[in-house]
This record gives sequence, C-alpha cells and structure tokens, in this order.
Amino acid sequence: MGRKKKKASKPWCWYCNREFDDEKILIQHQKAKHFKCHICHKKLYTGPGLSIHCMQVHKEAIDKVPNSLPNRSNIEIEIYGMEGIPPEDVKEHEKQKTGGGKGSDSEDDEPAAKKKATPALLGPGPSTVSPGILPTPMGPVPPSMYPGHMQMNPMMQHFMQAPRMMMPGMRPLFPAASVPTSTPSKPTFPAYSNATISAPPTTSSAAASEPKENGEVKPPAAHSCPLVTATGAGSKIIHPPEDVSLEEIRARNSKYRPKPKPDAPAPSVAPTMITPSTSQAEAVMYAQVAAHMSAAVAAARQQQAAAQAQAAAMRRAPMMPGVVLPQMRVGVPVSVPPVMGMLPVMPQFNLVRPLQPGMLLPGGVMPMGMFPGGMGGMGGMMMQPRYR
Amino acid sequence: MTVTRVAESRTEFKLKSLPEDAISSVKFAPKSNQFLLVSSWDCSVRLYDVSANVERHKYSHELPVLDVCFRDAVHSYSGGLDQTLKMYDLNASSETVLGEHKGAIRCVEFASEVNAVLTGSWDGTVKMWDSRVPNCVGTYNQGNERVYTMSIVGEKFVVGTSGRKIFVWDVRNMGHVNQRRESSLKYQTRCIRVFPNKQGYVLSSIEGRVAVEYLDSNPEVQKKKYAFKCHRIKDGGLEKIYPVNAISFHSVYNTFATGGSDGYVNIWDGFNKKRLCQFHRYNTAVSSLSFSHDGSALAIACSQLDESQAEEPKPEDIVYIRYVTDQETKPK
Repeated sequence: MGRKKKKASKPWCWYCNREFDDEKILIQHQKAKHFKCHICHKKLYTGPGLSIHCMQVHKEAIDKVPNSLPNRSNIEIEIYGMEGIPPEDVKEHEKQKTGGGKGSDSEDDEPAAKKKATPALLGPGPSTVSPGILPTPMGPVPPSMYPGHMQMNPMMQHFMQAPRMMMPGMRPLFPAASVPTSTPSKPTFPAYSNATISAPPTTSSAAASEPKENGEVKPPAAHSCPLVTATGAGSKIIHPPEDVSLEEIRARNSKYRPKPKPDAPAPSVAPTMITPSTSQAEAVMYAQVAAHMSAAVAAARQQQAAAQAQAAAMRRAPMMPGVVLPQMRVGVPVSVPPVMGMLPVMPQFNLVRPLQPGMLLPGGVMPMGMFPGGMGGMGGMMMQPRYR
Repeated sequence: MTVTRVAESRTEFKLKSLPEDAISSVKFAPKSNQFLLVSSWDCSVRLYDVSANVERHKYSHELPVLDVCFRDAVHSYSGGLDQTLKMYDLNASSETVLGEHKGAIRCVEFASEVNAVLTGSWDGTVKMWDSRVPNCVGTYNQGNERVYTMSIVGEKFVVGTSGRKIFVWDVRNMGHVNQRRESSLKYQTRCIRVFPNKQGYVLSSIEGRVAVEYLDSNPEVQKKKYAFKCHRIKDGGLEKIYPVNAISFHSVYNTFATGGSDGYVNIWDGFNKKRLCQFHRYNTAVSSLSFSHDGSALAIACSQLDESQAEEPKPEDIVYIRYVTDQETKPK
C-alpha cells in the first residue's frame, strides 16, 4: 500500500498524463511540449501565457494546449508543474494509479509512451483550431468571458466543463483519448495499465486489430500487439498493416510455396486418415521431450506438442504416397502445400474444408478443430500472470 | 525511395554473381574476414571469397533460405521455409540434413560454447542440434510464439518472438528460461543482438526504434537501459518510419551498426549514446548486416522486403562489402 501511495504522488503532467520522477523535469517537459509557441518556438510558462503570447506577438489565437489529450487541452487553466491541477483530476489520477497500476515496469515504458503519445495527439490538436475564431478579438478570452466565447466556438464547451462528463460523447471522436480518461480500476489491457495508458497507438490499435484477426484467422500471437498502421498523424510506418514479420508476409507469395512434385502422385489430403496413429506416436515422442523440460509449463507444452504433432502429421502425410487411398483423391485439390501448417493464416485451409462431409470426416475435421485447440492452449499461456 | 548511385571505391564494393532474389542473411566467417555466407530467397546459400570477390560455393534448399551461419571455416548451417536444417561441408561439398522443424526456420545460430546449433522457427520453438550428426538435443518452447530473431554470445542466448516477448536462456543449461521479458518497444520486434561483452542486448523494432537493454536484473543496472529513434525520414510534412531490419556488433569496440528499410546504415556507440556515423543511402532497404570477426569489414545486404509494395521495378539485390575505419566504429 505504502508503495502505491508513493507512486501516486509522483509528479505527473495534467496535459498528457505522463509521470515524472521530478517536478523539475515535469516543468521542463511542459515548457517543451505544451507551452512552446509553434511559430517562434519560444517556451512560455503556462497555457494562458502561451495563449497571450501568440495573440500579442503573432496575432494568432490558440484554443488548445499543444500535444495535450483532447479532454485536457484547456488553455485557460493555469497549470505550472503540479500547481493548478483541478482537484477532481488529481483524485481521478490517484484512483487510476491505485486501481489499475500494479505492474512495476511501467516506468521502463515511459519514454516510449511519451514519444508515442505526442505524434498521435498532434492530429486532433491543430485540426480543431477553427479558422473562424482567428479574426475575432475574442481569441484568448479571459475566464470571465466564457459564455460569450462558448457561443463563438461551441467546440470550447467540451473543455470548459468537467472533462469526464463529456466523455461518452467524445469517445467516437477521439478513441485514443478514451483510455486515460475512463476511470475503470481494472483496465482492459493490463499490460498497458499504468504509465503507458495514455499511449494512443496501443489502445486504439488493439481494438482495431480485433476484427482483422477474426477475419483473417491471424496467428494467435498478438494479444496486445498493435496493428502496424497505428501511428499518429504526421508519421507513417513503412510496413504492411498486418503485424506479422516481413518474411512471413513475403513467404505467402505463391512462388515461394513448394511445388507439387511432377512424378510423385499429387499430394492428396486423404492420407490424413492415417493421422491418428502417426500423431499419437509423435505425441508420445513429444511428451517425452516435454518430460525432460521443466515441470512448470510441461502440461501446456504437451498439449501444444500434441497439437503440433497432429499438424505435422497432417502436413507430412501427403508426402507418403504409399498410403494414399486412391478413392480418396476424388475431387481433392491437388496442391496443398506442406508449408500450410507453418502459417495458420494461409487460406489453403479452405482446401481442406470440402473434405469435411462424408467419410473423410475424421481427417477433414482434424485441422479445423486442431487450431482452435491450439489457440486455446495459447490463450491459456497468454492469460498467465504477466512476467515481472 | 530514390536510388542513389554510388561510385565503387576501395573502401566499398559490390559482390559479384549475387543471388537472384532477396537476400535474407549475410554472415562473416568466425575467424577470417575473407569468407562470407549469403542466404537468399532464391533458395540458395552461397559462400563468397570477399578478398577475391568470387563466389566459391553454392548449394540449395527446396524453398527460400532465411538464415545461415558458420560453424567453423568449412561448415555452414542453414534453414528456411522448407523447415529443414542443413549442414554443408564446404570442403567436401556435401550436405547433411540435420532435422526438421514444424514451421519455417527463421534463425540459425551456432553456439560454440556447447558446440551445438540452435534453430528458431515459426513453429514457436527453438531446437538445439548436435553439430555433427542429425540429432535434435532438445526442443524449447518460446511461449508458443513464432521466433523472429535470436542471438547468441558465449552462453547468453536471447530469443525474440512475434508477441514481443524476449526469452533469455543460458545454453549450458537449457532446462529453464533464465528471464522472460516483454520488449520495451511497443512495436514488432525485428532484430536482437547480444553485446559481445555479454552485458546486454540491442533490440530493434519495425517502428524505427532501437533499445539498448542490460541482462543484469539489478535495478541499478536496469536504470541504464534506454531506447532511441532512428531510421526515420522526414518527407515534407510526413515522417516516414522504417523498420530496423538488421543489427551487427563490432566485436572489438562493442559498437553496433543498424540497417533500416530506409536504406541507411548507422553505427552507434551504445554505451555513450552516440551515433558514430551514417553511411550514404543504399539503393534499397538494408536486410542484413555482418561485421567481420575483427570489425574491419562490414557486409551490407540490400534487398527490398515488400515493406511498402510500391516500388516497381524491384530494386537490385546487392551485397556491399565496406571496409570500415576506426573513425567510423570506435567510441570517441
């Protein structure tokens, strides 16, 4: 408990939810990230200071603090380091710390989190500087003039009121911002529950990757791995959108698939009929291997080994022309590449499907059932307590 | 990507009779900077005599080869999409199949400490093989995640997987994992290399970022770890962020080179957090790097890996050999 309290009392930046070890650094951060004039790069001391500077020096109105979270972009609030933070936000921050954050490697992630957070937030930032308010003299309105300003620029409403009240409405607009502001004490993605919570790419992309995984039967690897596209505005990762290594993507190219041997009988899926015996033998072998390994994960491994053994047997089976049952070849697609098992993604699995009905049921069903099983095993592994 | 034409010079030249498809890996021989192994998507493994600039040997797999390594001057191991680990005797020109994985073999490393070969595969395991006979010594699960990269120095063996996990093993005792970590980088792990002094490792991701981490779990040591951005190009208002595909250590100075899909090679001093130099831009993405054992030469493989699917016609696949100077590689 004491440790958590100590954590919560770490200085943090109201504008981007980032934590610092030292308030001095926080102030430096705020000056560099949030109070810097985008025109002349002068570093001001507070949000209103920046606003007044821009108005007087450059004749430009700024209605948002640069690089801030969408609900924390109020430029009127005077915040300097930890001074001036609305008390309810302090409370909320503490709540989040004690509720959601228990991983200790959060600090390690911080630099990455910070870098990630800023480019992403640039997007909503400048775009909402509505040109309409530029010519008005009302730009940097003193707090007393809020009502008038609200009429001028309805956008501002969001930031005048208690930010959390607006959240439901804002969610679709700024999905990235939803995490830092929502207050559940048990975050959806425990891995990113604390310092990194404000990093948009992680959260938005984790959600975004879901449908894709379902659609494409992606290898069950990335439980929280972002889709590669998830960067901020103003930057682009030169990588295919799918979060799979370049080599795997390249390997799907048909020219890198094994060619069916011309002389050997066309590989047919029928031999999967013999799978049970082979796979058992292999499973036993693997079980033995597993027995040599440490006991902790042995069970999970055996399960996996068995699944793999089946996969292998299935894959290897077409290579044994001797056991091909001739009548089974009817209507079987000829080129089921042995690589298939390597990437469960491969669409070739559909080739197995037609075999399902009728007498091939046992063999045909196997691959379909196998992978969910394997995935289940993996899911189990994933759900284990995080490494600490 | 703009193609820069660079004049051949004494410090840098192209290898002749290169593979006909993308180059997956280049590795210098353990005790000389004369020989270089090159594996390729054209299913071949080639041995080059760098000083004479000739191809000495060539053998093939059934499918593209993803990685290759030396055991000693005359033996190589290779694996790839055909899931088969091959040993090749370069003197006798004979090959031996050591065994198979259930998925493509992504990484092949030789562990001189225990005289064994290690293979990392997309089947989610690492296997250890007796280096002389077809005998799998053990299969080690890597969290059921596809192995993307691995590196070994002495007994320290580090594996990076598709789910951004990092497993630290001791090859002398493969009974259990020494450490399991999550990558400190947010994006897909691309390459990991252990420091020659075994203190830590360098890890790169597809998002133009490199992390320097330490193996000692003492918090004082862990404090030193950091990450930095690199291999990014500002193009007008858009910042293009490239995968960092390759890392290679200078075995003497503990500095390292990184190669990115942006076509640049940078040399870094990881302990002092300094960039020592950047070479000119190569014709396409840098897919693999290898320093020679004494750090005097750097092999740079340039191959487009379909990062953006944009470029037509496909840029040439080239291996450059660059003789580097102390100025470029020694900490200042």
